[in-house]
Amino acid sequence: MKINLTKSDKIFLGSILGGYIAVLIYVLTTGYKFKLEGVGQRWIFQLPFGEGALSRVNPMTIFMTWAIMALIVYLVTRVKVFEVIPGKKQSLLEAILEYVYDLVKDSVNRKEFVRPIFNIAAALFIFILASNIIGSLPGVSAIPVEGGGFKITVLSDTWYAPTSDLNMNLMLAGFVFVMSHAFAIKAKGFKRWIKSFFEPVWWMFPMNVIGEIAKPVSHALRLFGNIMGGGILMLIIGYLVKYFVAPVFLWGVFGLFFGAIQALIFTILAIAYISSLIE
Amino acid sequence: MEIGEGLMMLGKYLGAGLAMGIGAIGPGLGEGRVGASAMEAMARQPEMIGTLTTRMILADAIAETTGIYSLVIAFMILLVV
Repeated sequence: MKINLTKSDKIFLGSILGGYIAVLIYVLTTGYKFKLEGVGQRWIFQLPFGEGALSRVNPMTIFMTWAIMALIVYLVTRVKVFEVIPGKKQSLLEAILEYVYDLVKDSVNRKEFVRPIFNIAAALFIFILASNIIGSLPGVSAIPVEGGGFKITVLSDTWYAPTSDLNMNLMLAGFVFVMSHAFAIKAKGFKRWIKSFFEPVWWMFPMNVIGEIAKPVSHALRLFGNIMGGGILMLIIGYLVKYFVAPVFLWGVFGLFFGAIQALIFTILAIAYISSLIE
Repeated sequence: MEIGEGLMMLGKYLGAGLAMGIGAIGPGLGEGRVGASAMEAMARQPEMIGTLTTRMILADAIAETTGIYSLVIAFMILLVV
């Protein structure tokens, strides 16, 4: 296989390589020390009012969520016209969306619901895929230090993936949960929706409720565990080999491969949860 | 080191090791079954290898969820608390 690089590609790749070497020299000269205590900690910001449930935010999650949304919106607005004979990028996009559309079409047998469910599933898939892939690229991140405040790391850690925060995943799973019941009410009517909780016999009601609530919890925890566990594993194995070559492959495996698979699984389960309720 | 602190460390390390070790049994068995069945199906119908591989990876990723839970719990015991 022959790879053709344009001049701008060469400049881009060369600057990344130069940045790596500069960071390596910086790390070696300043004696960077890595402590395993505090690996799972986040930069948490206390809002000025109260100590209640909604009084603390994770600034990195908010920054990165908005950055990824802005990136996606920017890429979408860059597209002028879809051509009949697709180019490379358009073919990739069409292949991804067609795959999701086929998944939805195979599992939903009410025709009028295929399009709205496809919109939800494709939006979830693109956002989670983008954030998981960003979580595998080395970049800028902020970690807390003792006694308040935070430290900014450049290129020695990956970008902060918003899906490695449980709050983000619970929000996505809760969204799927609410949407699935909204679709169920629309498809079955209110009475049959209520009645579906008392099937097959009336005293199974608590079991049905627990089953419904367990769905978003396991849905959220699956994505959270994979992304955050992968991130911590990367840090620890990278620490064991003193950041020598191995982190690149770990970023590739845990970020790109597992990230893509987990995004696909989140989408497939969302489609399955929605389509199992509207039948 | 006080004896209380030592007991706490003992509990932490024992708990994390047990959580990961016992939690890895189930996903191991599950993924083994998925792989075995996929291999059987591939041997029977070699023309479906492409589809079967994707489905196998998906089923593997779902089966390993409980193992990932115990991994997160072990990390939380070791590093966060």
